Amino acid sequence: MTPTAKPEAPGDWPTLLKDNARTGGQGLHQAKSPEGAVWQFRTGSSVRSAPVLEDGVLYVASVNGVLHAIDAVTGALKWKFQAAAQIHSTPSLSENRVLFGCDDGRVCAIDRRSGEKLWEAPTGAEVWASPVVRNGVAFFGSADAKVHAVDSASGETRWVQDLGGRIYSTIYADQHSLSLGCGDGKVYSLEASTGKILWSTPTGNGIDSSPAVADGLLLIGSEDFFLYALKAATGEVRWKYETGLGISSSPAVAGDLAVVGSKDGFLYAFDTQAGRLRWKTLVGEVVTAPPVIGDGVVCIQAEGTFALDSATGNVVWRAALAGTVQSVPVLAGDIVYLASLSGEVYALR
Amino acid sequence: MDRRSFVKAGCIGSASLLMQGLDPMMRADAAPKATPPIELQGLSDYKPSPLGMPGLFPGRVVAVRKSNAIVRNRVSQPIVRQMLEHSMKELTGEKSVQAAWAKFVEPNDIVGIKINPSGAPACCSSPEVIREIISAVQSVGVPSRNIVVYDRYSYEIDIGSYQALLPPGIRIVGIQEAFSGTAGYEPKIYCSAEFFGEWETRSYMASIVAHELTKIINVPTMKDHSASGVTGSLKNLAYGTFNNVARTHRAPYSFTNPLIGLMCTVEPLRSKAVLHIMDGMRQVWHGGPLTQVQNFIDQTGILLVATDPVALDTIELDAIEKKRRERGAPSLWQHDPNSITSDNDVFCHDASKNLFFRQPGHIAAAGKLGLGVADLEQIDYLLLSA
Repeated sequence: MTPTAKPEAPGDWPTLLKDNARTGGQGLHQAKSPEGAVWQFRTGSSVRSAPVLEDGVLYVASVNGVLHAIDAVTGALKWKFQAAAQIHSTPSLSENRVLFGCDDGRVCAIDRRSGEKLWEAPTGAEVWASPVVRNGVAFFGSADAKVHAVDSASGETRWVQDLGGRIYSTIYADQHSLSLGCGDGKVYSLEASTGKILWSTPTGNGIDSSPAVADGLLLIGSEDFFLYALKAATGEVRWKYETGLGISSSPAVAGDLAVVGSKDGFLYAFDTQAGRLRWKTLVGEVVTAPPVIGDGVVCIQAEGTFALDSATGNVVWRAALAGTVQSVPVLAGDIVYLASLSGEVYALR
Repeated sequence: MDRRSFVKAGCIGSASLLMQGLDPMMRADAAPKATPPIELQGLSDYKPSPLGMPGLFPGRVVAVRKSNAIVRNRVSQPIVRQMLEHSMKELTGEKSVQAAWAKFVEPNDIVGIKINPSGAPACCSSPEVIREIISAVQSVGVPSRNIVVYDRYSYEIDIGSYQALLPPGIRIVGIQEAFSGTAGYEPKIYCSAEFFGEWETRSYMASIVAHELTKIINVPTMKDHSASGVTGSLKNLAYGTFNNVARTHRAPYSFTNPLIGLMCTVEPLRSKAVLHIMDGMRQVWHGGPLTQVQNFIDQTGILLVATDPVALDTIELDAIEKKRRERGAPSLWQHDPNSITSDNDVFCHDASKNLFFRQPGHIAAAGKLGLGVADLEQIDYLLLSA
C-alpha cells in the first residue's frame, strides 16, 4: 500500500499534507506505541493546524501568528517568523519555501533556511486553507470566496476565480485541474491554467473538508453528514456514505483504504472504490481533524491521540495528550510528532 | 393599567433586591458560603438605550414550532426562514419582516450576533438560523462588513464550522484563543468578586462588546446547565461576554446566581442586547452545556423570539423542567447532596446525577434586577404551531 498523489516535479505539494495519506511526504511508517517524550516544545499559543516535517526540521504554525522551525532531533528552535496576523493554515513546503495563509488574508512564503519572508500575496479575507503547489504555481482558497493562483517563486497573481462561498478546503492540484470544496456546499473542479470552472457538484451543506483524489475518484466530506466519492473527471456521484454528524475532517487515502473522521466521534474506513464500510471506531466525542495513514496503522487526534489497526479499526495504542481541532500526527519512523490545541509540540518515541 | 404596562412596571428593580438571597428551594445542607460582595464597573457616562433589556416588549415571548424544521438532526433553512419571519412579525406587530427588523437595527449599526457554539456539534446555535438572521439584518441595509458573528472561544466556533457555513463578507470573531488571558477584554469594565479564594477576582467585558458593536442579537440554545440550571439568553450573554467566569463554580457550589443577572445589567451590554432569538431546534435536558450524548438531546424544532431575556429563559426553564419530568430525571431545582457526583463520566451518562447544585434561580434574580419578567403567569407567551 503506497500513498497516491505522488508529486510530479520537485517542489510539488499538491494536496493537504502533500499526499492523499496525509503523511506530509514521510511515506507509510509504522506507529509503534510510544514509551515517552523525546522532547517537548511550548509555542506559547494555541496550535490550530498540522505540523510538517522535512530535512530534520519540524514546521509548526501557532495561532498567534508565529511559524516555528524546530530541530526534529533536539526540539530546539532554529528560527521563528512572526506574521502580521493569526495563523490557522497548515504549512506546505515547496523547494526552499514554507507557505502558509494568515487571517489578514495574506499568504506568506518564508525561506526555510533563514526564516526570512520571500513574498506575500494578498486576498480579501482570511486564508485557513493550506496553499498547494503544482508546476510552479501556488493555489489556495480564501474566505473571500475566491480561489487564487500565484507564482510560487514570486507570489505574483496568475488568476483569481470567484466561487459561491467562503473557502476553507485545501485544494487538490492535479496536473491540469484543481478540486476543492466550498462553503456554498459545492465541490468544484477548476482548470489549473485559467481557473475556469469545469464542473461543480452540490452537497447538502457547506464544505470545509479537503479532497483526496485517487484513481479517478475524488473523496470529500460535507457538513451534510455525508462522505462523497465523485468521479474526478465529471463530478458525478459514484457513492456516498452517511455518518452521524457533519464531516469537516479530510479523508486520507492509501491504496484501496479511505479513512475519514466525523463530528459524531467515529473514524470510518472504506473500500475506496466500492464505498463499502470496512470498520468504524469511536475515538472521541467529536472528530474534526484529518487522519493519517501509516504502515498498517491509522492515527488520529481528537481529544487525545489514537493509533488504530488499519485492517480492523482496533485501537493499538492511545495517548491522552495532544487534543486538537485540526492537527495531524507526523509519523516519522520511530518518532511520532504531535501538536496540540494548547500549543504543546511533542516528539514521542 | 393594561397587561403590557403592568409587566413593564414590574420590571423595575435594583441590585439590592437580588442580593437578599439565593434560591428559596435550596436546602440548608446544600448552601455554600454567603454570596460575597460583587462590584460592577460599567462604561462610565454611557447613556442607556430604550432598546436595552428588557427592551421594546417586556414579558412577551413568541415561539413557532414546526415538526419538520429539524429532521434526522438536519435543520431546514427554508422552514427556519418561515419560522423567523412569522415570529418576528408576531413579536413586533409589524406586517412586513423588514419593518419588524427595523425596530431593532439601523443601516449604520455594527451588529453583533452572539452565537452559542459550546456544545458543538451536537447542540449549538444552528448555522441555518444564523444565516437567516444575517440575511434579515442585511435586508435592513446593514452591510456585510458590519455584521460580526462572535463568541468567546474561537476553537468552539471552529468545531461548529461556522466559518465555512456562513456567507462571505461578514466577520467571524472568537474573542479569545486560549483558556486564559485578558487580550480582547476591556480593563475598565468588569465584575469583581472573590468567590472561592481565586487569585484573579475580576471578570472583564469583551472589548468588541464594549466598544465596537452597536447592537447585539443574542442567539442562545435550549440547554440545561450543570451549574446554572439552564443556559439561555442571560447566560449566553453574561458568560459569553465576560472572561474568567469558570471561577464562579467550584463543585458542588455555584455563584452563577447572582452573577449572570448582574453581568447582564452592566452597560453597555444591557443597552446593546436588543433582541434574543432562542434556537430550540434541539433541546438538551441533561448533560449541558457540552454534552454530545444524543439520548439527552431532543429534536424539538422550535424557535423563540423576545426582547426580554428573563421571560424567554423562564419559558426555556419551564420546557426543560417538563422534559426532565417526562424522562424521569430530577428537577433542576433539586438540591439533594446524594445527586452530586464528582465523576464527570457519571454525570455525562446519568440524568439523576449532577456536578453542582444547579442555580436556576438566576433567572428570577435577573428579573428582580429589572431585566425582565420571571413570573410565568405574567409572561405573554404565544406559541404558534404548524
